[in-house]
Amino acid sequence: MQSGETLTAVLESGDTIQYIYDANAPRGGMKHTYFTPDKKFAVQFFNRQEDALDPRLQDRIRTIVGIYNPTIAEEDGGALGNTQKTAEYFRQRFCWPVAIVRQPEFGIVCPAYPDNFFFDAGASAVLNLKGKDKKSNWFTGKNRKYLSPAERGDFRTMLKTAIGLSRTIRRMHQAGLAHSDLSCNNVLIDPKTGSAVVIDIDSLVVPNKYPPEVVGTRGYIAPEVLATMGSDRGRILPSVLTDLHALPVLIYEYLFFRHPLIGPKIYSADSAEEDDFLALGEKATFIEDPNDTSNRPPDLDVTIGSLSKGLERLFIRAFVDGLHDPAERPTAMEWETELLKAWDRLYPCANPQCEKRWFIVRDENDPVCPFCKTRVREKIIRLGLKSEMRGRHGVYREKSDIIVYDRMPLFDWHIYSNVHNDEKASPEMRAYIAQYKGMWLLVNHGAEGMTSPSGRLVPKGSAVELKDAALFRMSGKDNGLLCEVSVNQNKS
Amino acid sequence: MSDYIRRLPVYLLLDCSGSMAGEPIEAVKQGIKTLVSELKGDPQALETAFLSIITFDSSARQLTPLTELMVFKEPALQAGGATALGGALTVLADCVKNEVRTSTAEQKGDWKPLVFIMTDGAPTDNLDDGIEAIKKVSVGNIIACGAGANANANVLKKITNNVLMMNNLTAGDMAQFFAWVSSSVKASSKSIDAKPGEAVQLPPPPQGFVIVP
Repeated sequence: MQSGETLTAVLESGDTIQYIYDANAPRGGMKHTYFTPDKKFAVQFFNRQEDALDPRLQDRIRTIVGIYNPTIAEEDGGALGNTQKTAEYFRQRFCWPVAIVRQPEFGIVCPAYPDNFFFDAGASAVLNLKGKDKKSNWFTGKNRKYLSPAERGDFRTMLKTAIGLSRTIRRMHQAGLAHSDLSCNNVLIDPKTGSAVVIDIDSLVVPNKYPPEVVGTRGYIAPEVLATMGSDRGRILPSVLTDLHALPVLIYEYLFFRHPLIGPKIYSADSAEEDDFLALGEKATFIEDPNDTSNRPPDLDVTIGSLSKGLERLFIRAFVDGLHDPAERPTAMEWETELLKAWDRLYPCANPQCEKRWFIVRDENDPVCPFCKTRVREKIIRLGLKSEMRGRHGVYREKSDIIVYDRMPLFDWHIYSNVHNDEKASPEMRAYIAQYKGMWLLVNHGAEGMTSPSGRLVPKGSAVELKDAALFRMSGKDNGLLCEVSVNQNKS
Repeated sequence: MSDYIRRLPVYLLLDCSGSMAGEPIEAVKQGIKTLVSELKGDPQALETAFLSIITFDSSARQLTPLTELMVFKEPALQAGGATALGGALTVLADCVKNEVRTSTAEQKGDWKPLVFIMTDGAPTDNLDDGIEAIKKVSVGNIIACGAGANANANVLKKITNNVLMMNNLTAGDMAQFFAWVSSSVKASSKSIDAKPGEAVQLPPPPQGFVIVP
């Protein structure tokens, strides 16, 4: 066979697909990859013949392509409860195998990653990255400096990326699936748009199926997996709980551009290998551990204490309480929820030179950008969104709160108590914030039955002024939230 | 913030004896170029891998000291002379001693070096001296690749258990060899699938290459 030759693969469905042979095809730990002539699909084969012939592996992959597939609607043979809409949503976020190759040997067909996960020619002035995939660590390590500023995104788009990833993993875990090798290589990100796509889905751990043999990736393997590696008895295998270590490692890297466990502490003077084995395994210590500062870099500046209180708590649970006690780790859904709450407290930094451009308002009484230390001079307006407690008329509790900025869009989940910001919610903007002639306004853009503090209807295109202690309904319909405004006069 | 990134030292020991003149040496030059460009396209390799070139003909020398990929310049290779493979191993041992940071109680050391040897003939100097020299330093995997009809697998086996043979010295075979070196470096920069002290698992060699058992 010659590189460039077009070959034909027969799928289990009986259909055929063509792919271009390449003697130097990219090789991962498990598989090597060819592309279809139009580059829309990747055709992948296993490196080891034993893998390709293993009936347990084949069986596991068949269920992944079929009944566990969140990128295909239930009516088309995909996952239970999956609608066309959610299938389409997750097609953008997973690179999920779509077919199984029967001939020339067992293999899989995956869609190619969406275009925005490949660098284009202008991505770097000093490296030729055109066509390379956007592995996470291009953006989070020291390589970041080689990328053109337009590629790098900002704090807001990195937070958005983290939300997208936790949602994707939550969906996978809801089905009982574990990725088993989540890492900077298997999550491609596009900070420009704040999106993430999870790849290498074929090594998923599937309930009641023989587990895959995963090698894992340095820095993302859960400490208990690394610590028990190589021992026959008591070996801990990848699972949902080990994904819940890798997920916050990635989130932490997106937000801080550093690894949560790699710090100055020396665990072994014998060799780098031994030191690493302990640093990422049995003896792993969070660089921001509040009780054990042995691994804390001396020049830590922005820390988890600069995020929302909820995210700080989750990171402590993930990297202190849960680092060596997997059951304590926050779930992907908890990450999604807290990241979304933090999203609603984002604020644009007034300093035009600030590289991060956005930050989370942790304390309304002391709003400072933690990255460049620029203090907010505007008054901080907080909207408390409350829902009536079920069965207790007139008793309200806070569903969420938001810190507003000029031109902030609001959505159904800010209007209704029964809508959450997830894959099922409508992406249509229903209202927005506008600063107008010294006033702060909430402009209705499609919320039905919004009323002013005095009870008058606020039709689409009209606005409510956001004054301190104002109280009004975001919607008069069932489940419409009550909005309470508090304005914090900054002293500075 | 200061970074705590370890380096992965990669040493290429390249045969530049007279028999490599012409197409083979050009293919090696092209191979180095491709290797560096490939590794610069992989974020983990770019962060960790450092590359050094040692060449040997009638004698051996380090042409390029251990260098970060971003500033690596391909050295000018010329073919001519004999095959001082033993000398090359001695040079390697010295370089590892001088360039690779060891782990101590105060400093984070480098990873064990990856060494790739490419030769098309039998050594013309004292190989045993070289083998003795490298026993005294800590290296990770050494992979020896014999190319063409005159390469001797049994001799290479004395240096390392990882011996590959490629049948001829065509540009295509050489390109495959360097593509495989690139995959191996990438894999080493990512995985810790072995317990400390054990060799890192490298990807399977390209088709047409024979692993000498």
